[in-house]
Amino acid sequence: MADKSLNWITLLGGNDRRGGTAAARSKGPEELVWKATLGESIRSSPVLSERVVYVTCRDGRLYTFDSSTGRERWTYEAPAAVHSTPALSGDLVLFGCDDGAVHAVDRSSGRLRWKSEAGGAIWASPAVHDGVVYVGSMNGTFTAADRLGGRVRWTRQFEGRIFSTAYVTDPLVYFGCGDGRLRALEASTGKEAWSFTTGEGVLASPAFVDGLVLVGSEDHLFYALDAASGALRWKFQTSMGIASSPAVAGGSVFFGGKDGHVYALNVADGVERWRSESIRSITAPPLAGATAVYVQGFYGLTLSFDAASGRELWRANLGGSLQSTPIVTEEAVYIATYPGVLYALR
Amino acid sequence: MDRRTFIYTTALGTLQVGLLGVPVRGAQAGRNSLRINVQAPSMPPSPLGMPGLFPGRVVEAFHSQALVNGRASPPAVRDMVDQGMKALTGESTAADGWARMFEPSDVVALKVNPSGTHPTVTSIALVREVIRSLNAVGVPNRNLIVYDRNSNQLEVNSYHALVPPGVRVVGLDRRWAVGADTRGGYDPDVFCEMDCFGERETRSYLATVVVRDANKIINLPTLKEHNASGVTGCLKNLAYGSFNNVGRTHVFPKTFTDPVISVMCSVAPLRTKSVLHIMDGIRAVYHGGPFSWNPEFVWEARTLLFGTDPVAVDRIELEIVEQKRREVGAPSLWDRNPANLGTSAEMQQTAQKNRFYREPGHIRTASELGLGFWELERIDHRRLRIG
Repeated sequence: MADKSLNWITLLGGNDRRGGTAAARSKGPEELVWKATLGESIRSSPVLSERVVYVTCRDGRLYTFDSSTGRERWTYEAPAAVHSTPALSGDLVLFGCDDGAVHAVDRSSGRLRWKSEAGGAIWASPAVHDGVVYVGSMNGTFTAADRLGGRVRWTRQFEGRIFSTAYVTDPLVYFGCGDGRLRALEASTGKEAWSFTTGEGVLASPAFVDGLVLVGSEDHLFYALDAASGALRWKFQTSMGIASSPAVAGGSVFFGGKDGHVYALNVADGVERWRSESIRSITAPPLAGATAVYVQGFYGLTLSFDAASGRELWRANLGGSLQSTPIVTEEAVYIATYPGVLYALR
Repeated sequence: MDRRTFIYTTALGTLQVGLLGVPVRGAQAGRNSLRINVQAPSMPPSPLGMPGLFPGRVVEAFHSQALVNGRASPPAVRDMVDQGMKALTGESTAADGWARMFEPSDVVALKVNPSGTHPTVTSIALVREVIRSLNAVGVPNRNLIVYDRNSNQLEVNSYHALVPPGVRVVGLDRRWAVGADTRGGYDPDVFCEMDCFGERETRSYLATVVVRDANKIINLPTLKEHNASGVTGCLKNLAYGSFNNVGRTHVFPKTFTDPVISVMCSVAPLRTKSVLHIMDGIRAVYHGGPFSWNPEFVWEARTLLFGTDPVAVDRIELEIVEQKRREVGAPSLWDRNPANLGTSAEMQQTAQKNRFYREPGHIRTASELGLGFWELERIDHRRLRIG
């Protein structure tokens, strides 16, 4: 594993897909610390590092805020809408844009360092591993580019759109595709190691734990595959499609369904530990900490559950989410909503 | 530029077209009058425009295997689309049927219905099958646009991700790129203007996808009850999904969906460019629409309806939903009993309650505006059992 400071895969904050900052909170936030109303809706997740919150917006901007005060640090303006969650890697913040490029922006100055063309609008989040940026695009290309400079190392073309953020290990990179397959490519060459065919598109981003790759599909099933071979270990049936990426903690894997439930399954065998009551539709990833799970629903609710029992701990009704996940720290809870408001709550 | 005024005179139950002065029946009496000013580009009538090549013809295609493990089955949907298009057009192959309406240079907009829970929106399997059929007659993916008013509803139902690369998926609330040009959602020069309930913004603008980008539209509504308009079929899906600022036409318990839906569909770009309607009834909804939170109100109809005449298709849809409501003991969609009015929560709990006096008469009004056939005796209803 590379230096983690250079390897902050943004989805859920870290390569372990646990969010990295998921503090346990038995009580909901009770006080607004600050809020920022952005120029358009927010589809992506905010990320937090070194007391700076980064968030992209459909108005084409990457915003940065002081996490304590909400004071705006700097704003970078891209030439098209941004749906991609930013990824922090060393001194860079990277994100995909509807102009078809990955933008690498200096974290201190907010200036563009480089752009790397990917051929189609990019809604996935770039994944950085060992000096290489991996990302898929809406036109079905999957690209590996140098973290320094953005030079494209290799590109593969697939028949489905790629919304799934890649999970990168040594030696494979895993991602889902709109053609229904979960793919494992050799990270160094792009050569296919294996692929697993589900019954519908795989929009969610896979998690990796204990030699398993975990991901849900629009075919209503959640899958656990052998990471080396792609062999099916177990699968779990839900009643609607799954676009929510899984989070892993304490031997459980958590994900939301379009049926509105949050599911908690045993990583080892896929047995259901609990499921929440339905909140109608969930497409965003949950955030899983040691004792609590958090999720934002499409219709406005943010919920927290006891990770072991599924008992609801608290809820807030601030605005819906498509792919945004709350950031939960000891000091604050940060929630970005589809209506375009970023909240810092205490 | 075409400028017309429609005056809905409720005391007389008539809708008058100002330009021609032809009285048209309205759905019900007892409301204030509604004046609708329309501004739209002048367009020559097209034989493909509503009611299209086959006025009054409706093909109802049923396939017992249309749902497998709770999901629309792509092979079954393919059979239904192929057989349905052959039956609609009378051609010996589906490709020949599609070629009656589409050619390779067309830019085709697909109007889906993404409003509601996952099982009650236009199936991805149907959208993909329509795309495949258009590809087969030479229309490339770059000439295809999937659209609706709400980009978040499109995304939560995964249209963005599950259609083939190259197809544009457009929420009209967003801006999007066409080559080097950036387009907005609505055309400021094409609108319907009316004051329904004293609202501040009295104009509803038509989508630029309809006015400028596409030269043909395929309408892919769902077979679904609607708590205001009675059903959300071809006409409602087109009108309220292509014009903005339409929620203002209903304020509990009244709704002006009749005649607004019908008048909007008669506006030249929408009327002229809408050449085919395929209604997704793989699952259908008899109450609580359009969002239909309660799964008890959803049934597995395993059906697609095909037509070029949206009025005829909607009339058949209306009969299907009415039949289902009779089976479960729910009041008719034409019900005017104030005791059956209720809150949104009550409406989602029981099929006996509804928020509005529904206006399924918008379908008849559309007929009177020349968009198709309302009378059942004039509808050529062909039933196919495919598998």
